[in-house]
Amino acid sequence: MIAYIFRRILIGFFTLFLVTMIVYGMIRNMPGNPVAQMEAQDPSRVLSEEDKQRLMEIYGLDKPWYEAYWSWLGKICTGDLGVSIKLHENVSSVIAVRIGPTLLLSITSLCLMYILAIPIGFYSVVRSGKRDERIASFVLYMFYSIPSFVMGVGLLVVFYQWLEWLPPGIMSDDYDSFSYFGKLFDVGKHMILPVFCYTYGGLASFSRFIKANMEEVIRQDYIRTARAKGLSNYRVIVHHAFRNTLIPFVTMVGLALPGLLSGAIILEQIFEWPGMGSLFFECISNRDYPVIMGMILIFSIMTLLGQLLADILYTLVDPRVTYK
Amino acid sequence: MAKKKEQINKSRGYWAETWIRFRRRKLAMIALCYVIFMALVAIFSPAIVGTKPVVCKYKGGIYFPCMGYFNPSWENSVFISDSIITSYPVRLKEEDPDSWAIFPLMYNDFNRRVGEGEMPGRDANPTIDGHPSFQNPMGTNIYGYDVAAIIVHGTKTALLVGFVSMSIASFIGISVGALAGYFGGWVDLALSRLTEVVLCVPIMVLILALIAMVEKPEIWHTMTIIGLMGWPGIARLTRGEFLKLKQSEYVAAARALGASQFRIIFRHILPNALAPVLVPITFGIAGAILAESGLSYLGIGSSASVASWGTILSEGNRNLSMWWLAFFPGSMIFLTVLAYNLIGEALQEATDPRQRGK
Repeated sequence: MIAYIFRRILIGFFTLFLVTMIVYGMIRNMPGNPVAQMEAQDPSRVLSEEDKQRLMEIYGLDKPWYEAYWSWLGKICTGDLGVSIKLHENVSSVIAVRIGPTLLLSITSLCLMYILAIPIGFYSVVRSGKRDERIASFVLYMFYSIPSFVMGVGLLVVFYQWLEWLPPGIMSDDYDSFSYFGKLFDVGKHMILPVFCYTYGGLASFSRFIKANMEEVIRQDYIRTARAKGLSNYRVIVHHAFRNTLIPFVTMVGLALPGLLSGAIILEQIFEWPGMGSLFFECISNRDYPVIMGMILIFSIMTLLGQLLADILYTLVDPRVTYK
Repeated sequence: MAKKKEQINKSRGYWAETWIRFRRRKLAMIALCYVIFMALVAIFSPAIVGTKPVVCKYKGGIYFPCMGYFNPSWENSVFISDSIITSYPVRLKEEDPDSWAIFPLMYNDFNRRVGEGEMPGRDANPTIDGHPSFQNPMGTNIYGYDVAAIIVHGTKTALLVGFVSMSIASFIGISVGALAGYFGGWVDLALSRLTEVVLCVPIMVLILALIAMVEKPEIWHTMTIIGLMGWPGIARLTRGEFLKLKQSEYVAAARALGASQFRIIFRHILPNALAPVLVPITFGIAGAILAESGLSYLGIGSSASVASWGTILSEGNRNLSMWWLAFFPGSMIFLTVLAYNLIGEALQEATDPRQRGK
């Protein structure tokens, strides 16, 4: 097991190396560069040729991309993500500011998903085939097919335009004048719609997943034995069937890990949420290479870690699974 | 008579069996009809909404100017040189009194506003309060473009994106999966690592970075990039099918008969591996349509001259009081994604060996 994890981590480093190199090569070959972009956005600032040259040197843009990549990689190994070209701050602190709002949304919605999906899955197995269950499943399936950004715009029209509830964004304009609980309440209020958009799709697919798994488990012999012993329906489902549906469910926790940090580019645009998704979008348009690379690195690490975590959790919940 | 009986007893092929089990699902069949209907709308879009005549007689010749909606060069250059390209109803008669023309069902255009006096007896499109009306069944946007026209012509874009990008993705995915599954060993190791690398990066991130590389992204770039990113799921499934099927007796028989590896892969294994692979392809089409509308929403998917559902949706987001700008494209995206999901799901059940014999 230890050897397996060790090997996976080694392969993971190799994958990381490949991913970052490919992305670095790509973004450096995008037309336009940060210096030109700076001028384009602020016409009043005319840079002399020498200044431009100096800036290019500072950011390593005068070197070909593979050389610049090596020096970037060297810095990463010492834990230095570099300095943002646009914001003149450390990449790690730029990301630290933006990661909070994204985590606020993604953790809330992940918890909601798990808390709600299990009872919904239970319910649809117990009432399977009955009329109310079929209606509920149908509604969930509809939700599952509505793209979250379509839902987001729809909710904006209804709640912000027609009901004039509150404007998008993370907080109200007079946020600073509120008391501590007032602030909490204010952010909470602004979170409701984005969290809903984040959650419903995953909720629908999670509960369908639980149902599908449970229905497979229910056909097994040991369930028939449990029923034959005269156990109640509740006990059979909760104690015998549910535990075994946990196996594939647990792996999904690992796979959800990258989504926690990456945020959703389009949803954050719609709700004007200052998170990681909108940061990434801004960086691409500003050609802010260090920040883009820092984010790609974090996303890739999270994806690989999530896959590893899923595999390790698998052995924990299912002793039959072993890795050599 | 005896011959007929023999035919009946002949066992059905894998594809026929899959189709029979697929056909039992009513919702999936409705979805399939919807997809076919959308394809027809896409093909006939210039005849449904447009400002260019479907057929016209002009200076002694018969022309089909509406073909210009597919490709600008298919609109005869005589119309450009006589400068009637944006005002057919009036200018045709001015230039040639004997001319006649049959116009599309609705007189509207997706990339320009229909102005005053362009068509006798028809008002100009409203720009400020473009509520849905008889003249503009789905309303107009702030520039006075007709939303229904964008929706109808956007069907073309959506379906094209779905099919072209998934064709690219299936080609790569099936090739990679087949090679990895059939040959195993270091080929498998290398190709599986490659799949993992592509899976590792959040897809939207890569698409954004790639699109930003192209100076003026065209719809073709978007399609290619979505296709180039969408193959890992297909590759994984194909690899699994190949791993399973290459152990089967008929492959051993083919090998014993001296069939080449190329022939075994493409003639013997692939047709039997293809039906389950259709499942991720179908879901992939839905995903590609979603990705395209998402990118158009962000304003980077395609040039402004292409009608796209996502573009109107983003206009709806910027002008929340014009609810029709969000409602109609949103519903279209939803329905189309739903249809492909339903088809994909039915295919999944139809090709699932555990459901066989039911």
